Parts: sequence; structure tokens; C-alpha cells
Amino acid sequence: MTLLLFKIALLASFVTFALPKKWKYWLGLVLHISLVATTSSWALHALREGTQTIALGVTTWSGPVQLVIDPLSAYFMLIINLICFCGIVYAGGYLKPYMAKKGSVFIALHLFSFLWLHAAMLLVTSMRDGIAFLIAWELMSLFSFILVIFEAQKESTLKTGINYLLQMHLGFALIMIGFLIANNQTGELGFAGVATYFTQYQNAPLFFLFFAGFGIKAGFIPFHSWLPRAHPAAPSHVSGVMSGVMIKMGIYGIFRIASMLQNDLMLIGIIVLAVGVVSGLLGVIMAIMQHDLKKLLAYHSIENIGIIGIGIGVGILGKAVGDEYLMILGLAGALLHNLNHALFKSLLFFTAGNIHHAVHTVNMDNLGGLVNKMRYTSIAFLIGALAISGIPPFNGFISEYLIYSGVLHHLPVASFWMSLVGIAAVLGLVLIGGLCIYCFTKAFGMSFLGTRRSTHADEIDEVPPVMLLPAVLIIGVILSIGLRSSFFGAIVVNILQDLTNISTVGIAAEIASSLSMVSTVNIILIILVGFVIGVRAWQQSKVKVEYGPTWGCGYTAGDFRHQYTPTSYADSLRQLVDPIIDYTRHYESFTEKEIFPPPKIFYTESKDLVEEKTVLSWVHLLVKYLPKAGVAQSGLINHYLIYPLVFLVIIGLLTFLKIM
Amino acid sequence: MLSLVLILLASIYFPGVIVKVKAIFSGRKGPSILQPWYDIFRLLKKGSVYSTSSSFIFQIGGPIYFSTVLLAALFVPFEEATAVFSFTGDFVLFAYLLGLGRFLLIISALDVSSGFEGMGANREAFYSMLIEPAFFLLLGALAMFTGYNSFHEIFANLHYDSYFSAIIAIIAGYVLANITLVETSRLPVDDPLTHLELTMVHEVMVLDHSGFDLGIIKIANNIKFVLFSTLSANCFIPQSLDLSVRIGIFLLMQAFFAGGIGWLESFRSRNKMAMNAQYILSVSAIAMILIFVVIIIKNRI
Repeated sequence: MTLLLFKIALLASFVTFALPKKWKYWLGLVLHISLVATTSSWALHALREGTQTIALGVTTWSGPVQLVIDPLSAYFMLIINLICFCGIVYAGGYLKPYMAKKGSVFIALHLFSFLWLHAAMLLVTSMRDGIAFLIAWELMSLFSFILVIFEAQKESTLKTGINYLLQMHLGFALIMIGFLIANNQTGELGFAGVATYFTQYQNAPLFFLFFAGFGIKAGFIPFHSWLPRAHPAAPSHVSGVMSGVMIKMGIYGIFRIASMLQNDLMLIGIIVLAVGVVSGLLGVIMAIMQHDLKKLLAYHSIENIGIIGIGIGVGILGKAVGDEYLMILGLAGALLHNLNHALFKSLLFFTAGNIHHAVHTVNMDNLGGLVNKMRYTSIAFLIGALAISGIPPFNGFISEYLIYSGVLHHLPVASFWMSLVGIAAVLGLVLIGGLCIYCFTKAFGMSFLGTRRSTHADEIDEVPPVMLLPAVLIIGVILSIGLRSSFFGAIVVNILQDLTNISTVGIAAEIASSLSMVSTVNIILIILVGFVIGVRAWQQSKVKVEYGPTWGCGYTAGDFRHQYTPTSYADSLRQLVDPIIDYTRHYESFTEKEIFPPPKIFYTESKDLVEEKTVLSWVHLLVKYLPKAGVAQSGLINHYLIYPLVFLVIIGLLTFLKIM
Repeated sequence: MLSLVLILLASIYFPGVIVKVKAIFSGRKGPSILQPWYDIFRLLKKGSVYSTSSSFIFQIGGPIYFSTVLLAALFVPFEEATAVFSFTGDFVLFAYLLGLGRFLLIISALDVSSGFEGMGANREAFYSMLIEPAFFLLLGALAMFTGYNSFHEIFANLHYDSYFSAIIAIIAGYVLANITLVETSRLPVDDPLTHLELTMVHEVMVLDHSGFDLGIIKIANNIKFVLFSTLSANCFIPQSLDLSVRIGIFLLMQAFFAGGIGWLESFRSRNKMAMNAQYILSVSAIAMILIFVVIIIKNRI
């Protein structure tokens, strides 16, 4: 029954193209809801009863396609469903201004791709067979590409889209090679083949192949360069879903592969941890340097993927040294952080979309003072900002706390190298946390607080309720994770028990007791804050309350230009990290002869040094040397006839001499 | 519960002692030890003036800052006497709770759209980010040394009976003292009395706070002082003594610590702003040395 509904929903998506423009969205919503309903029921069943296998009734050349939903898949499916549902609800408000501007087919294609991105991600989590998995993976990349180039009339968006498509296919190729290598040795194509391969051969080379392939999707540094380009270019409901769940498919893959590892654990653990720490730190440092709010959020995705990487690295190291507590806590922290990041990052992208909807820009240099005009949006953004900074009583703290307590639990018994690695993990997390506070006080303060940094006197209104509805839902889940953390902790530990076949009873009890203490503190915190605010309100009702201008140090004619700007707020950190970022200030100084100087322009920009060194340097080389091959393009037909002849002669010689 | 009572008790005279010592060194008689608290009570009764460009963030910033510091006080133990909350990794929550208060205080400073307060907010965010690693390295080292990972268990097992404990306690005490100075924005990182908006850190952030808000922020600052100095006192007080003697030593140590800050502020000048980052990072470097000391002591090499 549910399978039939699932198939009908997928087939009915084609009807979107035939419907009149105003009904397209509603059909999309209904189809999304039916996908959510069917797959969530499977997932919940799998979480309770263990692995579910559903035959899809489709056959590829490697056999019939099956949906295999184990607890890990189920967990990711539930996250996908929650965020995609929020995304389609949000799109209802966000797409409204575009409905008149864009053509009917264009809107249909967008909604169709959104539905199929949702479906493809669900399939990625439930396919075990290599061919079916790769097809689902490819569908996911293609439909997200169509979604990214929503504003394809802009050349920059189109360029970004092609960049994204190319990088995704590089990842696809690496994953495919990984599956083929395992297939070549074991005769099985798919995750089962990889598992068998790992029991027989050295793990590290194949693991790193998969890690690079999945890492491109996840956005680990140095594979991240598509991410800060694609997220700002895409419309906000798409960036919310892409950053919230699509990049998690890379993490899903890494989790799946990492759970099969048998040897080389120490090496793999240390490298994953190192990549995590570097991604986390560089991600957040680059985020602080941004002026564009959505680009800032995109870099934060890299940072959070880094935190997840730290968790996975710690978990693998736990397995390597035989400390189950460390292993389970590291992996549990990473797994829970997937959910947490999906929640607060989509919340932040949706609220950034609200800003775009109301102000038509997300450049922080032109924002400010929105808090009084968009009160609900600003509260939602603030909660997202606190949660992503890992601050209690919200959810981000819970997952970071799990990783911390795993490492701290291991430190007293750690060997020399493990002490150093553990300290590095803790240091990474601490610095990321501190930098996150730095970054989000900037993002929130510059966008919402103070006075508008622009002379445009346009009217700004709060967005329609439908664009706030997803935020309410997400904040509800964020708070419930913060206040009932032991429940969510138990879920991820159960999933890990299924995945690793380790009895986690004792560990689960210990985690539950400390998490319930954390939640108690969180509840007391909320009550205490409420009480103090109440006392304050009572005190204010008794005394005289006045309003006046901000203290300007005696200078009274200040305007919005006297405020701190995003650039100046980032500057103290910029001085410290200057060697690892590519930062330029464009400033024309005054000359002596300028008695009446004309207006001058000052601006700063920061480029991504890692992208510059890893991706762009090769591209620059290609751009430089490939035109030299143009010599061969002479335009003479007789030359062109020689080329195939030369080719055939070479092939003939090679065959004759049996070289290949 | 005992630790909470002691912390609140010490926070009564702590700021007064600093002021008194500074007055004596500069040849004045100085106000009563309780004068800072009289000022706070006066503030709590006063009316408020708000900036016209501020919003509800400004109004909730003070109360949340106060609540987080008060809640953090429930985590700090007095040696083997348990704090109200004690569980695995409780100091992580302790540090992140203070982070919540700091976050709200920073954004309420940005709320009034003043360049000066933006400057203070920026420095607070930057310096607290730099000092955070020192705290975690220190606690990591103590966890490695004692074999436990909650505040209470660490300090209950950090005996003063072996020579090793003495080494650890001295370095830990030094690091904690420096963390206190940075977290509470005192010399040499920041001089709260310069009253030059361009060079202050913490005080410039609360320039536009008045009345009740300013009062509770000041109370929170006083408690925050004692929070960190209680942690350093925990490293030093020998556990073999009688409880009443230890409470006496604790209260004296707090006065001594406050006097030390007063003495430091009388004779030392503030760092150049650009030097602060280096200074704060050097505290983390010393905490890193503590890690290596523990590794060597524990024979991990």
C-alpha cells in the first residue's frame, strides 16, 4: 500500500508540467507530503523493529532493486523528510514573487526537481546495490544542479552551476572507482562488496578513495570549493535543503563505509580527525571574513561538517585503541550533529531567505536594524545562531558535548599519541566554538541590530506567515533536543549498536544519565532567565523609563556610518590569521594635491586560499596551455583527414607490438 | 551547596578589596569594602534610559547574562564538597553557559548602533575566543592527571600530598589566575578605569546600560570573579585540614587574590591593544606545557 503510494507520488510528479501555474505548487506540496508519509512510516518501523527490506519492483542489469532500510538509513530518511517538508512549505512563500516573473515550464521544472531531489536522497540512503546507489546518487546531483541554476539568467549563477556539476561528477567518479575496485576483487558490486574487500585487503587506500568521493559532496576542506559558491546562488529553500541534508548524504556514505573498516584504523582515524579539525577551523575563519550572509552560512556548513568529521575521526580512533566508550560517543556525537546541523542550518538559510524577500539583499554591509521590523525572523535567526554556536539550552551543544565527553573520558587512560590526538580534537572543538560565537555575533549584530547601513529608505515588512511556519517547526525540534537530550541520545546510540554490533547497554546508561543532567540544567536555565526577566519587568513598572539617543561620546551628529561594520568587526581576527587567508583591501589614498577630494571607494574582499591552491591553480594552467592546442585547428579539411589516419596508424602499431 | 554559599560570600567583599587596595597604594583612604555593593543596590532601584535604536535584545541581554553566571556558580565545587550540579564533563557545560551570557552581552552592545560599543563587543568576542583553549587545556590536563572528568571529582582527587600535585597546582593556579583576568577584563588586558571608550573592553560594552540592567551585570561580574578564583583556590588548599580551617583559608585566599588584583592594577600599565592577542595566547601555551608536564609525570612517554 505504502509502496504503491510512493510510486504514484514519483510518477505523478510529471503531471506538474501539465498543470496551470497556480496549481503546480499545491501538487508539489501534496506529493512531498505523500513521500514524507510513506518513507517516514518505513523509517519509523525500521527504527523500532530493525532492518526493513522492500522490493521496488524495478530491475537494473545487476538485479532487482531493493530498498534496504536499516536504522542508520531510517535516521537519515527522517532528517531528509523533515527538512524537505519544511523546504517545500517555505518555498510556497519564497517562490511567490517569482511566479509572475518566471515562465510556466520553468516553475514546473523547479518544483519537479525539488521533489526528485527529495526522492533521490531517500533512495541514496536505502540503496545497497552499487548500480542502484550510483544512479540515485547521480539523480541527486543532477536535480540539485537544476535547482541551483534557478536564476539562470545571471551568468554568475550559471557558471556556479556548471562548477557544481563538474565537481559532483568528480566525486561520482571516485565513488564509482571505489565500488569497481571492490567489485574487481570480490565479485560483488555495492556496499556488501566493499565490506568483503575490507575484511581481506588493506583498508586505507579504498577508504580514502571513498572519503574523497563522499567528501566532495559533504564539503570537507580541500574538497569544499563548490559549496560557498552554490549555496548563495541557489534560492533559499534550495540552499536550506542542500546545506541541511544534501551534503549529509556525503556523511552518510562515509558513515556507511567507516562502519565496515577492519584494519588501518589508527591511520584513518587520525587523518579523518585532522581533516575535520582543518575543515572546522578554516571554515569558520573564512565565514567570519564574508560580507554576504548566505556565503557566510555556506562556510559554516563546512565548519559543521568539520565537527562531524571530528566526531567520526574520534569514533574510528576509539575502535582502533579498543575503547568502546570513545568510539560510541564520537560516532554518536557525529550522528546527532547531522540532525542538529540539518535543523539549525536550514533554519538560518530560511531566515536569510526572509531577509532577501523583505530587503532584496543579503549583503551585511547594507543590512542592519531589521530587528524591530522583522521581529519573528530575527528571533528565529537568533535561535539558529545560538544553536549553531553550540550554546545551551539549544541542540548544537548536545552533540558537541557527546564528542567532548568521549575524548575526556579517554584522556586519563590515553597513550602518548592518543593524548596528543585527544587534546587536538578538544582544542579544535573549543576554537571552533569560540570562533562561531565571534562569527554569529557578527552575523546577527550586523544584519539585525543597530541602524540600517544604507541610505535607501525602502519599507521593510515582516514576511508572510507561511515563511515563518517552517521556522516554528524547526525551533520546536531544536528545543526538544536541548531539553530532552537523553531521548535523542538513546536513539543515536541504538542506531550505532545496530551498525557496529557492539553491546552499548552500559554506555547508553551512562550517556543517558549525563545527558539528562544537561537537559535539567537547560530547563533550569530557561526558568531562571524567565524569572529574572520577570523581576526586571516588575522593577521597570515601578521606575521611570526613558528613551534617548545612544551615547556618542559627546558627538551628537552621528549617523549609521558610525557603526561597526562587518569588515571592522572581522578585522581583529583578520590580523591574526592573515597568513592563511587571501585578503585584499582596495583603498585609494588621498594625494597631496587633492584640496577638494572626490568621493573614494573602499572595499575589502577575501578569496579562498585553499580553493586557489587546489582547484584554481590547475584550472589556470589548463586555461593557459589548452589554447596552444588550437594550432591543430587549422580549418583545412586535408589536415583534419590526416588526424584520424595518424590515430589509426598509432592504434595499429600498438596492437601489432602488443603494447596495450 | 557549601561552594555556592562560599562563592556568594566571597563575592560580597571581593570587589571592595580590590578598590580598597588600589586606594591605599595611591595614598588615599578609600571607600568602605561594601561600597561596590551599595552602588549596585542604588542602581537596582534606579530608573532606566534606553537608546532609541535599541530593541528587545538589549532588554533581555542583561538578565540572560546574569542568569548564566548565577547558574555557572552552581557548577563550581569547593574541593570534595559537591557542587549543585556534578556530572561527566560538567565543565564543558560551565564554559558554554558563560558563552551564552557573553553572546547576549555582545549582541546587546551591538544593538545600540554605537561605534564604541561595537569596538568593545568585537574585542570581547575576540579575547574570549582566544582564552577559551587555555581553560579547556587546563581542565584536560587536570583530567589526565587525576583520572576523572568532572569538576568535583578532579578537585577532590587533586591531592596536595605528593610533590607532583604541587607542580600541577602551581602551574594550574597561574593559568587560572590569568584566565580570571582575561574573562573579567582586568589589567593587563583591559583597564576598567581608563574611561576612554576607545581602549576599554568590557566596560565600553555596557556604556548604554543603566539602572537595573547595569546593576545585575555588575553583580554577575562580581560572581564571575569569584567563580574563577574559587577554581584556583581549589588547586591549593590542602585537603588534610579540618573543614572549618579550610573555609577560613578559602575566604582569606579570596581576599588575597582580590588584593593581588588591586596591587597589579596599581603598579602595572595596560598592554598595548595589539599585544593582547599574544598575551592571551601565551596563557594557552602555558596550559599546553601543563599537558606535557602531566604526560611526563604520568609516564606516558
